[in-house]
Amino acid sequence: MFHWLEKNPFFFAAAISIVISFAGLIEIVPNFTQAGRPLIDMKPRTVLEIAGKNVYMKDNCMACHSQMIRPFKSETDRYGAYSLSGEYAYDRPFLWGSKRTGPDLHRIGNYRTTDWHEAHMLNPPLIVPGSIMPAYDHQFVNLADIETAYAEAVTVKNVFHTPYGPEVRRGREAWEAYKPTLIEEARKIASDMKDPRVIEAMKKGDVPEVVALIAYMNSLK
Amino acid sequence: MNTVTIKFLAFSAILMTATISVVMSLDIEIFEDTTNTLTIFGIVIPLSINMLTMAGAIAIAVITSMVTGKYIHQMKTDTATGKLAEESWDGIGEYKNELPSGWAYTFLGLFIWSMWYGFIGYPINAYSQIGEYNEEVLAYNKKFEHKHKNADEETLKKMGESIFSVQCSQCHGEKGDGLSGRAEDFTQKSTESILKIINEGQNALHSFPGGMPGGMASGQDAEDIAKYVASGFKGTEPPMYAVCGGCHGANGEGVEMVGPRINGFDMKNTLAKGKKGLIGEMPAFNTLITPIQEKALTVYIQSLSN
Repeated sequence: MFHWLEKNPFFFAAAISIVISFAGLIEIVPNFTQAGRPLIDMKPRTVLEIAGKNVYMKDNCMACHSQMIRPFKSETDRYGAYSLSGEYAYDRPFLWGSKRTGPDLHRIGNYRTTDWHEAHMLNPPLIVPGSIMPAYDHQFVNLADIETAYAEAVTVKNVFHTPYGPEVRRGREAWEAYKPTLIEEARKIASDMKDPRVIEAMKKGDVPEVVALIAYMNSLK
Repeated sequence: MNTVTIKFLAFSAILMTATISVVMSLDIEIFEDTTNTLTIFGIVIPLSINMLTMAGAIAIAVITSMVTGKYIHQMKTDTATGKLAEESWDGIGEYKNELPSGWAYTFLGLFIWSMWYGFIGYPINAYSQIGEYNEEVLAYNKKFEHKHKNADEETLKKMGESIFSVQCSQCHGEKGDGLSGRAEDFTQKSTESILKIINEGQNALHSFPGGMPGGMASGQDAEDIAKYVASGFKGTEPPMYAVCGGCHGANGEGVEMVGPRINGFDMKNTLAKGKKGLIGEMPAFNTLITPIQEKALTVYIQSLSN
């Protein structure tokens, strides 16, 4: 029946791979598709939060911070409930990280606030004695790339069907129409902040990187 | 008994003697631990882990020697028998022997075991990391609650201190001093901030709809109350304190659902709901701190200002 396979090395190799990985496939694939679905009532990140995520990636926060709480008592005591696969459904890419020089950040929004992040980003050792985290002063000066973040939201909506509302769509007019929502969201966060550079930028309608980053941090719950 | 068997028995004896002499020189107590014993035909054998290891080592030495001896002997003396298969590959023939019985039974046994494992063993006893986590947490919480049900002040304070350094010190500082005004200072209550609350009112804890209105006391009365509350209710009670006592309790111990505790730091409401007061916003810690830990933290934090 499979005699012809023996004469075709390529298909033979492919068939062997399927046979060998069969048990793995039937155990892993259904589980993956099941657990990888977004949790019920989970919302995708807002555009401001995406901009914050991009700042997070740009400044390579994941080199020192993980975003994955493992189901061990020592971890859940310190960071809160363990992470579920579905929570990363809208993360592209996920930012689990594999090195914890600093603490895990997956539920940081539950136990830190805007003004804490502000003071901490300016001078970490002042807030956490002995911390070796460097200061991220440039985030108070640089402006967040909110247009790219909006483009990213449009892309993931079109390509992966991430459930954004009708306000997220292609085109400059759509972006201009959406921008006030984003600025409003940023203002809400900046109202808890004291740094004069942030206040000045917000007055001009700009969004400093730190505001986007804090929006992202607060959304990690 | 042939000479080869004798040779290998002698070899295993040498192995055992060497092992025992090494163990003796290391001062490991093999027969000393007699907490568990096994009695066979009236002989009491102490069951310590060292004893078992020793017995295992001896068994391995004997079995290895015997088996090796048997096969070496067989290689020297055995001749092949049986009916040859018809094919011959370049002069190399093959016997048409029966499957060795040990081999066949092992195969059958494995087959039965795999059926059991595939249909019963794995589906019923499957391991889950989350399951293990749940069991561990349940068992730990039970033990923790049992152990610290009536914990004394000293234990609670120690526990509170360690929780504080993990969960609270990031904002309130290692010493609880609030990092020069960045968060609540636990080492002292500030008269000014209490005065500010009396004058302007506050609804930081959302314990009562509408919160506390400003100006319930004013002038000298307000200052007296502020000083009295900041000192931790020491000295004579100012007569106007009665206004505060209506909501915060006669001794400032707080009234459930009405006014928070003021004769110290209100932990219960703050940890459960978070607080956005004069200084800034503190998040809720309801997901991270259990009732016993809350008690411990309360003891520790009150001890900072005494």
